[in-house]
Amino acid sequence: MSAPADVRSDVSALAVDDVTLRFGGITALSEVSFTVEPGTVHALIGPNGAGKSSCFNVISGLYTPTAGRVRLGDLDLTGTAPHKLAALGVGRSFQNIALSPHSTVRDNVMLGRHVLTKGGFVTGGLRLPRTVRTERRHVARVEEICDFLGVADRLDVPVAALPYGDAKRVDIARALAVEPTILLLDEPAAGLNATETAEMGVTIRDLRDALGISVLLVEHDMGLVMGIADRVSVLDFGRLIADGPPAQVQSDPEVIRAYLGAEAE
Amino acid sequence: MSDTLVETPVPVEPARKRRNWAKIAGVAALLVVLVFFPVITGTEVAYLKAGQYVLIGVVGAVGLTLLVGQAGQLSLAHPFFLLVGAVSYAVLAGDAGESGDLVGLGLPPLVAMIGAVAICALVGLAFAPVSGRLRGIYLGVASLSLVFLGLYLGQSLDMLSGGTSSGRPPPTFEVFGFRFANTEPAPTIMGVAIQKQQRLWYLFLVIAIGSYLLARGAVRSRVGRAWRAVRDNEAAATAMGVRVWWSKAQAFTVSSAFAGMAGVLTALWLDLVKPDENEFIGTYSITVAIGYLAMVLIGGLGSIPGAVAGAVVVNGLPQLLTLGATEFGWFASAGAGGLSPVLVSAFVYGAAIVLVVLFEPGGLAAIGRRLTSRQGDRR
Ligand SMILES: Nc1ncnc2c1ncn2[C@@H]1O[C@H](COP(=O)(O)OP(=O)(O)OP(=O)(O)O)[C@@H](O)[C@H]1O
Ligand SMILES: [Mg+2]
Repeated sequence: MSAPADVRSDVSALAVDDVTLRFGGITALSEVSFTVEPGTVHALIGPNGAGKSSCFNVISGLYTPTAGRVRLGDLDLTGTAPHKLAALGVGRSFQNIALSPHSTVRDNVMLGRHVLTKGGFVTGGLRLPRTVRTERRHVARVEEICDFLGVADRLDVPVAALPYGDAKRVDIARALAVEPTILLLDEPAAGLNATETAEMGVTIRDLRDALGISVLLVEHDMGLVMGIADRVSVLDFGRLIADGPPAQVQSDPEVIRAYLGAEAE
Repeated sequence: MSDTLVETPVPVEPARKRRNWAKIAGVAALLVVLVFFPVITGTEVAYLKAGQYVLIGVVGAVGLTLLVGQAGQLSLAHPFFLLVGAVSYAVLAGDAGESGDLVGLGLPPLVAMIGAVAICALVGLAFAPVSGRLRGIYLGVASLSLVFLGLYLGQSLDMLSGGTSSGRPPPTFEVFGFRFANTEPAPTIMGVAIQKQQRLWYLFLVIAIGSYLLARGAVRSRVGRAWRAVRDNEAAATAMGVRVWWSKAQAFTVSSAFAGMAGVLTALWLDLVKPDENEFIGTYSITVAIGYLAMVLIGGLGSIPGAVAGAVVVNGLPQLLTLGATEFGWFASAGAGGLSPVLVSAFVYGAAIVLVVLFEPGGLAAIGRRLTSRQGDRR
């Protein structure tokens, strides 16, 4: 596996600042603050219903917080239309694979180049040499990214024909094709077996090392989180109860209580 | 000239670019047949007209499969856009002095054709607030209301449409002084005079091939990827930077433009623009809406070659059976209330749809793909 590109130097911190999110009477997030430092792997964990997905959706623009802000470097992302985030360097993968099943792997990952390319119906339809040349350049890059994720031998296969683990990797490849400075991964190991989970952990660290980008992941698999995260934030009932390096968080009495409590349910 | 021979490496296309000679030979053979079709049919102009009707279907079906198959928006509004295209052409190119009651702007026919397509695109775009909000069968029903709107407008705006009793003649098509009409003397190809119908065949053929190539190109490009992404998962499409509402509006606009072009061709084919008398049968009726949907279903949703195959089945079959009836006396014994070419072909493509839905959701395109054993997206 080759490095997709040189390490990026334009990665800035993602700051979740005092974010509160209410749905009617339910407070899904209550004054949550944490910072994903540039180039780190940051994990967001917590028992069921803790607010992880809600937090993710606030960052990716699907929910507008009731209070608080989300910032990427000097950019204020709060309330930014979700389709504008890709162009600002936010790449995201989905918990339940959200690919086009009948399209090939290459075609799916090429979607990630949407904001990096131009052209509508006529320019695309005419297939002018210029368009084709540009497209070929982007395809080459996409193939490089697929190679990095270990799905380069599947480029012409429709996603529906892939094993689950490979489809998950294609989903991440597509998020990377955006050339993000921060990558949001929603449960990248969900549905994977132990071997695949371990491989996924290695891949996440590798891509961070190769690209120098930040990674924020929501994950249930403790082993994976503790193995690869530089920093862990723990949510419980919408509150941030711990935030620090894995070892410290792991031994935090409140975290242990939250998880034991959740297991006792 | 530089003194170094080192070139920047050009990315080499991988094995998928391997040339499939059998395919190229097939396409070449098909093109030869299409180009010499007026020679093959000779004086039997009825066959040429049948072929023209198939080409109209190709233009419309290609547009519809982009919308329904690629972008995932069910539409039954195609006949409405055919009507808008036909009437727009007649109005834009029409001679104002010719008839006191009819509106005619007297534009050159080529400009009128382009204008008619542009008007259809704009009307399609205007429908975007509806097409963007509704899905599936709800959008299908909402779009069907446009067919009723077209019926009503066609019947009430006589000065544009010519009215249901007489209609209005579409102006003769003309490109840079070359008229698509009978002339004396006429040029010949291998002894066959190239008169109005032969000329229209070539016009339709060029437009159909152009539509096909444009649609195929679009499906392979950025716009096509965005359509499929929106069709399959709007949240993911959004996260990748696709403006979902615009992508949907774009698909409806493009599809309406194709339908508008098919409408202009329909006017030239019939040599008449005349609104329907009712919503069920006629040139711009619900029957036609279902016919176009049948084309894209039989062909395989989203497949451009499939749409062509669907147009051959749905538009070609009734024409062929009608020819059989007049030339060889098929259906002669059936009498009134019995089988007619139109009825038989409706049964045939109805059965084809059922077979496709039950046994091969990918349609003729998937069967073709299996025969040539290609994998990948429906293209
Ligand atoms: N759209 C919504 N409308 C109303 N309540 C919501 C909505 N989304 C989340 N909630 C509520 O907010 C709280 C946090 O939910 P969230 O899905 O963020 O938790 P989570 O940590 O992702 O849980 P899980 O581990 O089960 O995925 C829950 O009580 C949930 O019921
Ligand atoms: Mg969740």
